[in-house]
Amino acid sequence: MPETFSSTAQMATIGLRDAREALRDRFVLVAITALTLAALVSLVTGAMALHGDAATYAQAKALLLKLGKDASVIAAPELYPLKLLRGTIEQIEIMGAVIALVAGYRAAAAERGRQTLALILTRPLAHWQYLAAKLAGGLGLAAVSLGVVFAATALILPLVSGVGLAADDLARLAIVWGAGILYLTGLYALGFGLSLWARSPAAGLIAAFALWLLVVLVAPQIGDTMDPDNQVAGGIYAQLSVPKAEQDRIKAGFATYETIRGGIEQASVTKHFERLTFAVLGIKDSYTGKPLGPILAEKSGDLLVLILFTLGLGGIVLLRPIDPDRLTKEN
Amino acid sequence: MPGTRPTDPAIATQGLTLSYGGHTALHPLTLEIPRGEVFGFLGHNGAGKTTTIRLLTTLLSPSDGTAQVAGHDVNTEAMQVRAAIGYLPENVRLYDRFTTRENLTFFARLSGVEDPAAQVDRSLRFLRITELADRRVGTFSKGMRQRVGLAQAILHDPQVLFLDEPTSGLDPMGVRALREIIDRLRDRGMTIFMNTHLLSEVARSCTSIGVLAHGRLVFHDRISALDGYDERALEELYVGVAQEDAA
Repeated sequence: MPETFSSTAQMATIGLRDAREALRDRFVLVAITALTLAALVSLVTGAMALHGDAATYAQAKALLLKLGKDASVIAAPELYPLKLLRGTIEQIEIMGAVIALVAGYRAAAAERGRQTLALILTRPLAHWQYLAAKLAGGLGLAAVSLGVVFAATALILPLVSGVGLAADDLARLAIVWGAGILYLTGLYALGFGLSLWARSPAAGLIAAFALWLLVVLVAPQIGDTMDPDNQVAGGIYAQLSVPKAEQDRIKAGFATYETIRGGIEQASVTKHFERLTFAVLGIKDSYTGKPLGPILAEKSGDLLVLILFTLGLGGIVLLRPIDPDRLTKEN
Repeated sequence: MPGTRPTDPAIATQGLTLSYGGHTALHPLTLEIPRGEVFGFLGHNGAGKTTTIRLLTTLLSPSDGTAQVAGHDVNTEAMQVRAAIGYLPENVRLYDRFTTRENLTFFARLSGVEDPAAQVDRSLRFLRITELADRRVGTFSKGMRQRVGLAQAILHDPQVLFLDEPTSGLDPMGVRALREIIDRLRDRGMTIFMNTHLLSEVARSCTSIGVLAHGRLVFHDRISALDGYDERALEELYVGVAQEDAA
């Protein structure tokens, strides 16, 4: 049997075992269900409002036609059902991230606690292959979890709102699904890696959460807080009626400050995930109704950061040798 | 197996050493264990027994010296060494949401066994645990888990079996059952390297012993009940060696 096939088969064996275990793990099942429900609650509420808008227009149109009037006097509302996914994206950003970190921790802690790590590493399998299989397991878990969330979205949204999803909408959902997989897999790798390397897996999980809070939650908040335009509701420039040219001139005087503020915001992978997905789904008004091609071209930088984040963390996990002192849960 | 001869010792180390951060966990260890031997490795807690097993099973890399297991170098032929060994760590728990059969099939596949299902059945029969095959490991007693752990270690018919404190935490019946399994494995010609601090276990099952104290091999010899090496004699030997080392 060729060695490469044998290695692939061994990696698949580990990945499939992880998948089977996830299906029997109450934490995973509860977490996926909770994420789906949380995502759907805001979606259903919005979809009902959308349904109301569509129904009001239909009633008005029917009334005009009944009265023998021209129905074109009232403009058909522009309905963008994907805009309703704001809550879903925000749940993935926070709740999904927490689940991914904890799932990564559990994948490492369980192997250490059961001593199965030592059993696997004394099999004819390179350490990096074992780690790659575990990361593939994390990627699969993210894909399935988000698949459940977005499949439920694609089914429920048209049902509740009465507004069907076009092929373009489904393509946008697929792109956001892919971006979500990247985002959650990167965080899974962070939780897994730190829990594998730390003296105790729990210390690794705490470190992972500290990093996540710093980069994902604190940094964007600092960036937002430092933005002068965010200091007054509606925006300070709008409130003071400062023209765009004048705004640019004022900002130019604070170039260093803006560079620092922008840098802090750029450090947040969540911000990049949000910028990409809000644009693709048209949640941000400036992108609503825009064709997908130009949006992707404009947001390729955010996509690139997401890819580099996941590949970078995955690469570090693969390349860092496993410390034999970490074969058990307590050292 | 290519590159190895039947006359090669099962385990041979030359100056095998492990040092880190100014501390030497294992002083140069030179040891030869012929094939088919049951080697009992004795020593106090922290003497370096588990470190030695980790070096021989390729979990650790030595800082100096060499070691061959089943004729393969642990540094340069780690994959061949891993294919030739079985390992049972202390307090192994396995995947507790999985049944015995699922656990064993997983490890059989990782070991590249050609017909995992058949090999799993053979191992279950050999260890007389067929009644545990479809029960979840999480519900097992320590003794049952230890037997399943042993089954995963011998699934692929390894040439050398490493057992780290295999009787730790077992009740007398569990110790007896495990001892009987070790005897049958020895009868099959398997080389067994066993870390232990139970002298009764050594007296009953081993054909040679080594005593490790503070990372140094202070005694190594073949033993036999016929030569007077019963449990009491072993105890005197062990205490004498330990006191000599302490002095």
